[in-house]
Amino acid sequence: MIQFDHVNFSYTGEQPVLQDLSFHIREGEQVGLIGANGAGKSTLMKAVLGLVYPQQGRILADGIPVEPANLAQIRKSLGYVLQDSDQQMFMPTVLDDMIFGPVNYGLAKAEAVKKAEETLASLHIEHLKDRYNHRISGGEKRMAAIATILTMEPKVMLMDEPSSSLDPRNRRNLIRALKTIPVTKLIAAHDLDLILDTCTRVLLLSGGRIAADGPAEEILRDRKLLEDNGLELPLSIGGRSGQ
Amino acid sequence: MDQLAARSSMIHNMTPLSKLWIAVFYILVTVSFHKYDISGLFVMVLFPLLGYQLSYIPVLTCFHKLRVVMPLVCAVGLLNPFYDRQILLTVGTVGISAGVISMLTLMMKGVFCLMMSFLLVATTGITGICSALRQIRCPEVITTLLLLTYRYISLLLEEVSTMTTAYHLRAPGQKGIRMSAWGSFLGQLILRSMDRAQGLYESMMLRGFHGEFHSAAENKGPRAVSAAVSVICSICVLACRWYNIPALLNSLVMF
Ligand SMILES: Nc1ncnc2c1ncn2[C@@H]1O[C@H](COP(=O)(O)OP(=O)(O)OP(=O)(O)O)[C@@H](O)[C@H]1O
Ligand SMILES: [Mg+2]
Repeated sequence: MIQFDHVNFSYTGEQPVLQDLSFHIREGEQVGLIGANGAGKSTLMKAVLGLVYPQQGRILADGIPVEPANLAQIRKSLGYVLQDSDQQMFMPTVLDDMIFGPVNYGLAKAEAVKKAEETLASLHIEHLKDRYNHRISGGEKRMAAIATILTMEPKVMLMDEPSSSLDPRNRRNLIRALKTIPVTKLIAAHDLDLILDTCTRVLLLSGGRIAADGPAEEILRDRKLLEDNGLELPLSIGGRSGQ
Repeated sequence: MDQLAARSSMIHNMTPLSKLWIAVFYILVTVSFHKYDISGLFVMVLFPLLGYQLSYIPVLTCFHKLRVVMPLVCAVGLLNPFYDRQILLTVGTVGISAGVISMLTLMMKGVFCLMMSFLLVATTGITGICSALRQIRCPEVITTLLLLTYRYISLLLEEVSTMTTAYHLRAPGQKGIRMSAWGSFLGQLILRSMDRAQGLYESMMLRGFHGEFHSAAENKGPRAVSAAVSVICSICVLACRWYNIPALLNSLVMF
């Protein structure tokens, strides 16, 4: 579904951000992407979407090379939750934002609205439907941004820090919703418990390289590996207790 | 503005196209009044006033939101009294020159047109206006440009307010922004709003944007009614232009 072949990327041309990255995410896999601040998680996602292009190497999304000519086709099957929800929401109301994608991809407006309402219900945020995007709290905006992407029903979901600024209940609702959606997922997060709950495989990124790639249960229990790469054990596995 | 446009009233429920037509027609007719025809022009204020009443938007909102533009519009005719000194009519013993009259009509035209345009935007929303423009085969480039400009302006204003807040929180007791900080402040402002604009544009593209914004809120009013209302309004506007209503009323009373 998503394939990286020896990908190298740098914003400035000097400092490499992604270095010789190679991995393959198969259809239906739920992959967690972890790594310290600045490890290159967001950049990796942008590369999948064709928002940045690698200087070397090749990226395939849904079997199609990520190139300017294919972008429209590729993006149709990808849903991307940005790290910064402020950049995600641009319509006046939450509902307007939610139907934006589906309607652009040819769904009738009434159907899109129905779908949006279902998504809101599944995340337990029906009350946000008619709210104005510039009048809701950070966490509410986060939930709304995730809802806009879920409404598109993408084949692959890329989520950058989905649980940041969510309260415990919303976080739980989000995890529950993610678990019921069987599509391929790539989730970047510092919330390792969320990754443990929703993902089966983990990619550990460090300085733009893959430091580890394996089953979530294994990597997230490996205290030494995590600490060597600037992370800590998930709380549910006993993180911090050994300090 | 978006909030005003999302309310519900008779005017809000009309189709965007008919509202656009009425507004444009009204503006054209208002501008076409003769520069000394102050009494005839005066009647034209009734249309926007009626519009504000029917859409439950206080007229004061318009003057408040446009407080920066209004004086500029009014300033346009300010020099007329100096050029056109011929006495046109006398009130008591004071002669009023043609220049003063033409200045007043010019101001009135400006203010009326602004009131009408504001009413249009406030009851239709920018997306509605653009969809109406698309209906009359306005090129997509223009409507997209209009939509994006509108979004980016609000974004820029938002950035300004966040940055000034952040500045004042760390510079308590300071009035305004210190001269020495202006350079970096403006630079940051431009970079930040460009970044955000870029980010927003990207997230639009990621969701299949191709030049149109769709609003979930539909106009519920039937098309036929909207069309009829716009025809009636047009006729009324024309009538006000052709007949000098105050003079007509006056002659009726005299009769
Ligand atoms: N637009 C940019 N121009 C130049 N360098 C950038 C840009 N965006 C990110 N970088 C650099 O690229 C590196 C990777 O950034 P990236 O945003 O991918 O990190 P991340 O893993 O998502 O971090 P975080 O956990 O903080 O979100 C960082 O060192 C960052 O400074
Ligand atoms: Mg990031």
